[in-house]
Amino acid sequence: MKEKKRFLLLLGLVFVHLLLISIQVPKGNESSYFERAVFSVFSPIEHGVVSFFRGLKNFSRNYFYFRDVQRQNQSLRDEAFRLHQENLALKNLLLKFQGAEEIRNLLSTVSQSILVASVIGIDSSQIHKSIHLNKGSADGVRKDMVVLDRKGRLVGRVVEPVTAGESRVQLITDEDSGVGVLTERYRVVGILQGDAEGKCRLKYIVKTNREVTVDEEVLTSGLDGVYPSGLPLGRIISVVEDTDLFKKIIVQPYFDLSDLDQVAVFTADLRDLS
Amino acid sequence: MKHIIEGAVGIVLAIALHAFLGQLSAQLLVVFNAFSWVVLYFGLTRHEVFGAIMGTVCGLLQDSFSLGVFGVGGLTKTLLGFGAGYISRKINVTPVSRSFVLALVMAALELLLWKSLALFLFGEGFATAGGLIFLQPLFTALAVTAVFQVNRRREARRS
Repeated sequence: MKEKKRFLLLLGLVFVHLLLISIQVPKGNESSYFERAVFSVFSPIEHGVVSFFRGLKNFSRNYFYFRDVQRQNQSLRDEAFRLHQENLALKNLLLKFQGAEEIRNLLSTVSQSILVASVIGIDSSQIHKSIHLNKGSADGVRKDMVVLDRKGRLVGRVVEPVTAGESRVQLITDEDSGVGVLTERYRVVGILQGDAEGKCRLKYIVKTNREVTVDEEVLTSGLDGVYPSGLPLGRIISVVEDTDLFKKIIVQPYFDLSDLDQVAVFTADLRDLS
Repeated sequence: MKHIIEGAVGIVLAIALHAFLGQLSAQLLVVFNAFSWVVLYFGLTRHEVFGAIMGTVCGLLQDSFSLGVFGVGGLTKTLLGFGAGYISRKINVTPVSRSFVLALVMAALELLLWKSLALFLFGEGFATAGGLIFLQPLFTALAVTAVFQVNRRREARRS
């Protein structure tokens, strides 16, 4: 191929990319049909590799720890018994505040709407932006569903693309993520935004407000219309005042990306239950 | 046809490596960019046209696995593949030091262009993952040079 033709090909490819970028920019986080198609075609490879890798890991783990199974079994039985007792105690406690029927319906809805999903991938451009799950629209996953970690702490929400077998979750540590939050003690309301480095910024707390302190827990407020209220998010690790009108508040999220192999997707709208 | 199969295998390997590294540790994905490895390798061995096409495919693939602007990775990787291929056709990159320096410079330029586009055009922050991102060009250059040299010597022995 002549040199001129090679440069023409490069110009053509650059033009295609600029076109794709200009189509994407006004859409924001919403993915284009082309992006969805690419994700649908190639995410099963990612899914397959992770499943194979996990299968190998489980096999070796099962083999090497076989001798400990009896002891682990006993300890898990004890743990299940303890959790069962705790569950009963909490149910009884709830009954004091609400009617028995109402509680039964609530608990049944919550337990039926938890979908356990495995994390099969992490954002390829910025690790604190998004993760991929091995559950998709065929499993009932839809856009804006709330995602929590093993301990019930907020991780993020489902965003597009959602394919039949895989989906994408925007993490609360993403710069473009915004969560309506309040502080645990004095109920100071603000907006939590990711800083792309694994932490979050609590925004729009004016300097004159003296009620926000380090080590205070941050919960969802439910005012953003996406997340239900009362979900734990993280803890304030620093409060700085400078010449700005607002305080610079850093929140350390509770979820740990390196320990995030399984998550819970809430397939029901939790806002209806709160 | 052989080149197309090789390219397809390279793409599948990049996805597999990306998924595997993500399972080991999220931080490894910052340091090891498997998509850049594949683009640079094919740029060095198959020159600019194949490098640019591999850059387009791998870049768009990387973009589809990310929540960022779709097309930015594609654009930077296309330029990376074309640039590496063009230079490798003009100068002899078979010595280890030359292939390493070329891979290092191209990987650093790609990172700079990608981050600059994200920062200045799309207003994204310059996330460095605690400085780890600056190691990406070095590890890309090491990996690409190693694979390139091993393959070159194997082919030389065969012929």
